[in-house]
Amino acid sequence: MKCMHTKLPDFLAKVQAAGKKLRPETKVSIKGLENIQTAKLASLRVGRIEEEIVEVTEDPEITEVVVEAVPFNPEIIYTIITKGYTADGKCKKAILEDLACSIPTVEHHIIDVEEVVDRRSAGPKQTQF
Amino acid sequence: MKLKYRVLPVGGIDGAMPLNWVFIDKKDIANAALTDYEAVKVIAEEFKDSAAAVDIVDTEAVSVTSDGIMNPIAVTAIASVDHGMINKTYGFLPISAIPEYEGIYEDEPHMRQWHLPQFKGRELHKGPNNKDRGTERADHNENMTLTGRISNNNCGSEAFDMVNMTEILIFMSAANEIMHDGEVIVKVAGPEISVGIGMIVSERWGRIFGGTNPGRYKPGMSAHNSGVFAKTVKSDYPAIAAPKEIFMKYMLDALDTGLIVGRHLGSSPALLMTAYYYGTPIDLDHISDRAWIELESIGITRELLSKPVKPYTREEMIAHAEEIIPGMKDAKRYKVSEIVAIREAEVKRETIA
Repeated sequence: MKCMHTKLPDFLAKVQAAGKKLRPETKVSIKGLENIQTAKLASLRVGRIEEEIVEVTEDPEITEVVVEAVPFNPEIIYTIITKGYTADGKCKKAILEDLACSIPTVEHHIIDVEEVVDRRSAGPKQTQF
Repeated sequence: MKLKYRVLPVGGIDGAMPLNWVFIDKKDIANAALTDYEAVKVIAEEFKDSAAAVDIVDTEAVSVTSDGIMNPIAVTAIASVDHGMINKTYGFLPISAIPEYEGIYEDEPHMRQWHLPQFKGRELHKGPNNKDRGTERADHNENMTLTGRISNNNCGSEAFDMVNMTEILIFMSAANEIMHDGEVIVKVAGPEISVGIGMIVSERWGRIFGGTNPGRYKPGMSAHNSGVFAKTVKSDYPAIAAPKEIFMKYMLDALDTGLIVGRHLGSSPALLMTAYYYGTPIDLDHISDRAWIELESIGITRELLSKPVKPYTREEMIAHAEEIIPGMKDAKRYKVSEIVAIREAEVKRETIA
């Protein structure tokens, strides 16, 4: 059976392995997924990202790789769950609310980058003007 | 070829401007033989070492404030640029003209103002249609552009720097002053403006709410719907407005058409107090309980609006605009020429390619 979606911990491990593949001393970190404990990620894209991490480290001047996950839609709606717990750890009440959160877009993260290679394609259709 | 534009530079207005805000006249885009999007590319290149919110405006068109007052200017596209970049999906938003559709005056009674001699025949732009919004904006996405740190919201009347987490409002009447080298007033928006911007009219393709169907919020209701917290929404952010005597004229023109505050027009503090002193009817019973909570939190009560008062004439209303319109009291007044730089950007072929 083909596993079409990768487990989040496997992805995190693959990022580390890819970053250290050519030079084990390379520092590797991932930002932006800290709040997600469990998830399934599109496997083909995970494979491409692994290859791209290796590609970035092919430059011998690169000593550190930072993989940043930035939401594609920068105006995020969160569901806020306000929970009240009793002393014995039981969650007695929860109130749900929406919370809109506008965040800096991907451009903010690439301002000083020497070379940007844009290989995004699948989901997001770029608006044509 | 050069593109003329106006900019309120970051740090300007005695330090009140938290970001660069560019205004481009549609006529100047035509003079430079550019499309709106190409013009934004030119501005992005101008701000390749910083960032800016961008409003493209048509001074021959009309638009409507959130509480239903028609203004002699319209924003026809908005954008956000950062270090020469425009986010491909969320960085630019055209705002197409809205046709005079069948039933518009029943569904949107405030649109009667379109028949006033000064507005008749002018193109109407409020919010974007579905095609303008594109395929990637979800229902929850506001009428907003985002690139890098800059967000340009509510069809070009509110902009944020999402890194410094600062914000400023420019009302449509102020945009009109900016484009005509007039005067503006500047002050922290405060509780009255905070409550006022929630008291909206129901519209199709509104600047803030409403798609193909009129939004669920009606005149007399509060879109903020947040009780005593409503007055805090913009209480810390600066706002740029037209001098009150100018804004007063727009409101009086609307009231002279027979429109009723609370029934046809939003029950904003400015409109309620203007109708009260002008002696035109206010539909107090149509104002929702939730809206009253917000109004009462800033001292506007049913009791106050029910007290008999000798109505002012139009001339008296204009003369007393400063006292009558709540909020932004004793704001600092500026000539637009003191706070807005008029510049020309070189249009390079490689920029717009």
